[in-house]
Parts: sequence; structure tokens; C-alpha cells
Amino acid sequence: MTTSAILQAINGTSLAALLFLLASGFTLTFGLMRVVNMAHGAYYLLGGYIGLSLAERTGSFAVAIVGGGASIVVLGYLIDRFLIRHTGDNHLAQVLLTVGVAFIIGDVALAMWGGDALKVPVPPFLRGAMELPGGLVYPTYRFVLILFGVFVGAVLWILYRKTQIGAVVRAGVDDREQVSATGINVDRLFVLVSAVASFLAGMAGVVGGAFLALYPGAEWEILVVALVVVIVGGLGSLEGAMVGALIVGLLDAYGRWLLPEFSYFVLFGPMAVLLLVRPRGIFGRAS
Amino acid sequence: MALSAIEVGDLTKDFGGLRAVDRVSLRVAAGERRVLIGPNGAGKTTLFHCITGTLRTSAGRVSLFGRDVTHLAEHRRTALGMGRTFQISNVFTDLSLLENLVLAIIGTDRRKWVMHRSVGTFEAVRAKAREGLELVALAHRANDAAKFLSYGERRQLELALALNSDPRVLFLDEPCAGLSPSERHSISRMIGELPRDITVLMIEHDMDVALRLADRVTVLHRGRVILEGTPTEVQTNPEVREVYFGRV
Amino acid sequence: MPKAARILPALVVLAAAVLLPRVVGPFWLGLVTQMYVFGLLALSVDLLLGHAGLFSLCHASFFAVSAYTTAILQVRHAVPTALAAPAGILAGTILGLVFGLAVRTRGVYFILITIAFGYVVWGVAHRWSSFTGGDNGVTNVPFPALGTLRVESPTEYYYLVLAVLVLCTIGYRVLVASPFGLTLRGIKASETRMRSLGYHSDLHLYVAFVVSAALASLAGVLYVYYNRFVNPVAASFPISVEVALMAIVGGTGTIVGPFIGSGIILGLRNWVSSFFELYASVMGLVFIGVVLWAPDGVVGLVVRLWARAVKAWTR
Repeated sequence: MTTSAILQAINGTSLAALLFLLASGFTLTFGLMRVVNMAHGAYYLLGGYIGLSLAERTGSFAVAIVGGGASIVVLGYLIDRFLIRHTGDNHLAQVLLTVGVAFIIGDVALAMWGGDALKVPVPPFLRGAMELPGGLVYPTYRFVLILFGVFVGAVLWILYRKTQIGAVVRAGVDDREQVSATGINVDRLFVLVSAVASFLAGMAGVVGGAFLALYPGAEWEILVVALVVVIVGGLGSLEGAMVGALIVGLLDAYGRWLLPEFSYFVLFGPMAVLLLVRPRGIFGRAS
Repeated sequence: MALSAIEVGDLTKDFGGLRAVDRVSLRVAAGERRVLIGPNGAGKTTLFHCITGTLRTSAGRVSLFGRDVTHLAEHRRTALGMGRTFQISNVFTDLSLLENLVLAIIGTDRRKWVMHRSVGTFEAVRAKAREGLELVALAHRANDAAKFLSYGERRQLELALALNSDPRVLFLDEPCAGLSPSERHSISRMIGELPRDITVLMIEHDMDVALRLADRVTVLHRGRVILEGTPTEVQTNPEVREVYFGRV
Repeated sequence: MPKAARILPALVVLAAAVLLPRVVGPFWLGLVTQMYVFGLLALSVDLLLGHAGLFSLCHASFFAVSAYTTAILQVRHAVPTALAAPAGILAGTILGLVFGLAVRTRGVYFILITIAFGYVVWGVAHRWSSFTGGDNGVTNVPFPALGTLRVESPTEYYYLVLAVLVLCTIGYRVLVASPFGLTLRGIKASETRMRSLGYHSDLHLYVAFVVSAALASLAGVLYVYYNRFVNPVAASFPISVEVALMAIVGGTGTIVGPFIGSGIILGLRNWVSSFFELYASVMGLVFIGVVLWAPDGVVGLVVRLWARAVKAWTR
């Protein structure tokens, strides 16, 4: 029984790694630019599909990851520049606009890749299972995903907390006007952060598409779970995305294992508790 | 000793590392006109927010008419008879002037929960709202949306909202800010003519207005009370002059 | 404007609605019935959006829960309409009492939380197949019957829906014109001012949320008897977003707005899907178009264009 419990913990953590990739971009985009981008899930899906095609064509997983991420950087930039820019601080407008974009991306993806569930091919050295300390056998890919998630998290954290640029971004999250008053080109900062968020989303699609499948509707399922992460962790907080991802990932894994028909209820739990006790999230700031 | 309308004991408010209000104690007697003065950043508005309940104190006590309200939510303090104006006009811009006043009037009235009759049927409330507008000379614009008012007219509406919530204690945050001399004159006259069963605590920058209306003055500097006394005492005090005008 | 003049347009529209079944065939009648039902759902969303300033994207949940409850009771347990319909409304309203917790947040947080809540309901409808029938849903819902009064045809059902609609809009009109309705608009205009005037804003918003959920639940009951079945799509995010869009397209804060919006959106869907499969992207373009060019909805756009035309003409 405990073996299963530990297995679920690892499952949950690997899902958390994936969720972190998606949630971190979403939360930083909101924290700095006050933009709610509901197309983030569609970025995930499209990035995944593009990565899939690249992997099939070149046989390289690395190319797939980079290509999937880069393609979304371009798409994300165009959407920011020509569409989202017109919504200013109006969150309602942003939600509607980006939902519309997501609908379009979803249909385009359906037309190009069809309705069947597809998986991104995993490179040979990541296939199969590996033996973990304690004699547990676990799928290699999902375990490496955890390491990858930790790596990306560490890089982001160092950039955010320990570098000059990170300091500027953090200052911008605190007070946008003050940062632009100091002469820093805020627009370029926004483009940079947005690009990082887009890259992470597209990359997450490839990385996630290798063990969860890619299919029409997946973009909304993953987005909603990422939203729960952001709600629990607090909008605008990188640490919140990390902690939230872990909580949600573990809850989801245990929920699916123990109460498969009610696993969505399990997601509801933490949000309800939060609303009663701390509505702005664990690391969220009072607006 | 007579019951104080407002009593503040060792009130402190911190924002992270910044101490905006530092162990301020105050006692305002019922019916008194107290003016709070002090340079910008002295913590006057923050102190107001703490007393009215808009912000939570970091330490200290607040009482209204002998009742400890330190942990009471803002809307409950209003129910005890608190009315306030904001430093930056905070009126209902999308609603008509009449609707603005109706909201002020039924704020602490159970009729605000009525769902089965339109506001139009509450004749007494509407009449009272019109009276409230007449008092600030805005009755002719009763059906205009508040967003079409000029700056001075908004300050008048702001005052009308506070007055019509049936207050026993009125907190006025720079009611004359940004007004022309004649507007200033008419607002300060209105405040001067308020009945003595309303206690007034006012923040004001304009020394003339402050000294003319005040019974007593409290001077705040860097979050602390540095002096409290009659208008004359405060005006002639060297420390106050230094704080306002620099070293002489 | 004298009261008679104000009522006249409404009476004309009502007369047209009453005469409709004599003029159009069953297909169009069905479409208009749908417009009424979704218009009512859009109205429930607009109570919060147009009046209280809260953008809820989980109203499909109340709609679906009430539809499922009524359907399951009628189909599996042979409960008569007189009990099944109120039970459905009650179930949706109870869910509203729970989801109403969301009013402890504002702005973006509120939107995101309602999205997540909505998804939970969809997920349960989708996964708990032993109870909800999974993707197949609950089918063979009969027409409503009250004792000896039975609805026997779509035309009779149309009249039933119309009657309910008229009652609802009258009630809604009183509600938004009431002191309670005014307090909601006050909260939307300035919550800080409301609190300083003595209003417990969270409580007012909570009550509004529950009332809105009850109205959405009523729409759900009307829906399930029209559709004769219900599946997880009724609880889906696209439905919640579409009805919000209906309110926006038609014009928020009005009573006719949500119904105009419902007519436009459903009409558009009907027309487009006859020649184009990828309907979702058309919806997407509408969302984008409305946000960029017609944020105050069709009503607002028409008013603006009209004003501009008048100005140009009278120069």
C-alpha cells in the first residue's frame, strides 16, 4: 500500500513539474503586465503539436522542445502586439479576447492535426522504466521530468531573485509606474517576460505531450488546473507557482487514485479552503 | 468625565518597514471641532483610515462614543454614526446625483435590502435626497450622472454623501482641497454651520480655514503628535512653525 | 415619458412573440425557444456583470446541475414535474450558495475562481458516469406535465417558456430598480464608498450571486424540457463564456440586452454551422471583434453610430 502511495507522490510531483512550467509564465505575465492570458492552454497545445511534427520530421526531441517553444514565442508576440495591447488593464476584455484566440487556435489545431489523441515520441534514452532508491520501479520519462522542472524552476528563481534583470521585473511587479519613471524601457521588459512565458508554455506542450496525450480539449483541461495552481499560490508570485503546483499536482494524483470519479472535487477543496481563509492565495498580495 | 466622541490610544500603523502612524493618542469631545494639521506625509489620512476602519491598525485602540471599535469592520462603524469624506473625491460617478444621495441615506437602513419595490416608490427617501442636494446647491442636477460634475461640484457631493449618512461623528479629509476661493468659502461656511450634535474631525491644509473652524488643533509630524492645543497656541508655537516652514 | 409610451414597445414585442408560432415553422420556433432560454441564462449572468460588476464564468454549472437534477428525477425516478422542476431549481441554487464563496475575491481572482469552479462541475458530469451518464448524459426527458395539464407539442412548450420569460423579466425589472439593485450598482461604482456608507458589500454580492444562480437554474429547467436530454456540454466552459458574451453583445446592464445578444449569437451559430464546420473559431472571431470594436455591445454600437449619423446629417 505504501509503495502505491509513494508512486502517486512521484506521479503528483511530475505533474507538478509540468504545471509549474505553464503556471509560472501565466503568473509572471499577470504580475508584471496585469495581463490575463487565457490562451495559455492553447499555446501549450499548439506548441505540443508543432513539437510533435518536428520530432516526427527530425527525430530529435531537443529540436521538438526548442521548436515548440520558439514557435509560441513568435505567436505570443503577435497576439500581444496586435490584440492584447488594445485591452489595456481591462481584465474582462482580456479574458474574452484571449478566449477567442484560444478558440481559433483550437480549431486550427483540429484542422491540422485531427481529433485523435496524439503523443509526442519520447527519445529512446528516456523510454522505459528506471529503478529508484528503495527498489521502486518508475517510468524514466516522468522522473526526468521532475528533474527538468526543478532545473527550470531553479533557473527562473535565480534569474528572478538574484539578477539585475530579475530585480527590475520584481520592481515592475510591485509598481509598474515607478519602474518606467526610472527610465527603463518597460515595453521591452514586457516583451521579454512575455517571450519567456510563451516559450515555457510551448515547451510544456511538447514535454507534457510525451506522457499525457494531445487532443482537442486538452488545452482547457491543462489551463484550468494551471489556474488552480495560480489561485492557490497567489497571482504574480513565482514561489506561489512552485508551491501551488506541488499542492495541486499531489492532490490531483491522489485524487485520481483514491476517488477517480470525483477527482475534480479534489481540486475544488483547496480553493474552497483558500476562499474561506486567505482569498488572495498563499503568496498573493492584497490589491 | 464626559464621553469622548472619538478616543484613540497608542494607535500605530506599519506598512512593511514603514511606520506611517506612531503611537498616536487623541481624544475628541462630543460636539468638538478638531482639526488635524501637519505637512505632507505626516500620516493624517492614514490615521483617518485607521479610525474609520478602512485600514486595520497594527497596534492600539480606537473607540467611538466609549465603544471599542478597534476590530470592528468599517461598515459597522458607520452604523454607529460615523461619516466620512475622502481626500480624493469618492462618489458614485456612474450613478445620478439623486441615486448617490439615496445610497448615502439608506446605508444603515434595513430598507436597503428591499427587492420587491422600486426605489421610485420610496417617496420619503427621495425627498430627503433632494433636500440633501439642495443643501449643497446641487438640486438642479439631481438626475445628472455624477461623472459630469466639475471638480468643485464633486467635492460638494462628497460632503453631501457624508452628511446624509446621518453621522454623529464626521471625518472630513481636506474638504477644501483644490477648490477656488469662493468654493472654499462656501464649503467652510457649510461646515461651520453644522449642528453641535455632530462631532467633526477634519484634516485641512488651508491654515485659515483650519484655524477659523477649529476648537482645538492637533499637529502631526512623521506619524507622531507633536502638539495639541487651541488654534492660537498652535499658531504661535515655534516647533510647529519649524515643521511647516523649516528652520527660521 | 408617460408610462403608456414606455410600455408600448414591450407590448408590441410581446404580441409578436405570441403570434410567432402561426408565422414560422417548427425549426425556427425551436430556435426562438432556445433564444429565450439562453437569454434568461445570459440575464442571470448580467445581474452580476452589468449591475454588480462581477464577471462570473461558472453559470453554466447552475444551469447544468438543475437540468441534470430535473432530468434524473423525471427519467429515472418518475418524479412528476411539479416536484422535479422545483428540485432542479433548488439544486442549482444550493450550488450557488457554495460557489458564492467566490465573492470573497474581486476582479481577476473572481473570474479565475469561477472558471475553476465551473470546470469542477463539468469534470464531475463527465467522469461520474455511473450517476450522470458520462458523455451520453441523461436522455428521454418527457415534456413537463402538471396534474392533468400536459405539454403536448413544441408549440405549447414555446408558450410555456414565453410565459415564464415574461414573469421573470417583470420580476427582474423590479429587482434591479429596487434598493437592493441600486446597492449593487453602488458597489460596482465604488465599493470603498459603499463600505464607508455602512454597506456590508460582501454580503450584498453574495445574495446577488445566489439570486443569479437561482435564475440560471430556472433557465436550466426550461432547457432540459426543451432539449429532452442533457449532457456535460451544458456545464462546459464555452457555454459560460458564450452567455457572458451574449450579455455583452446585447448590452450589459439592460433587460433586453441579454436577449438581443442571445438572438445574435444563436442566430449566428445557426447560420454559420450550415456551411462551416469550425464554428469555434467563428465564435473566437466574434469575441475578438466585440472586444476591439463593440465593447458596449450592439446596443451601444448602434447608439454611437446613430449619434454620429445625426451629427453628420445636422451639420
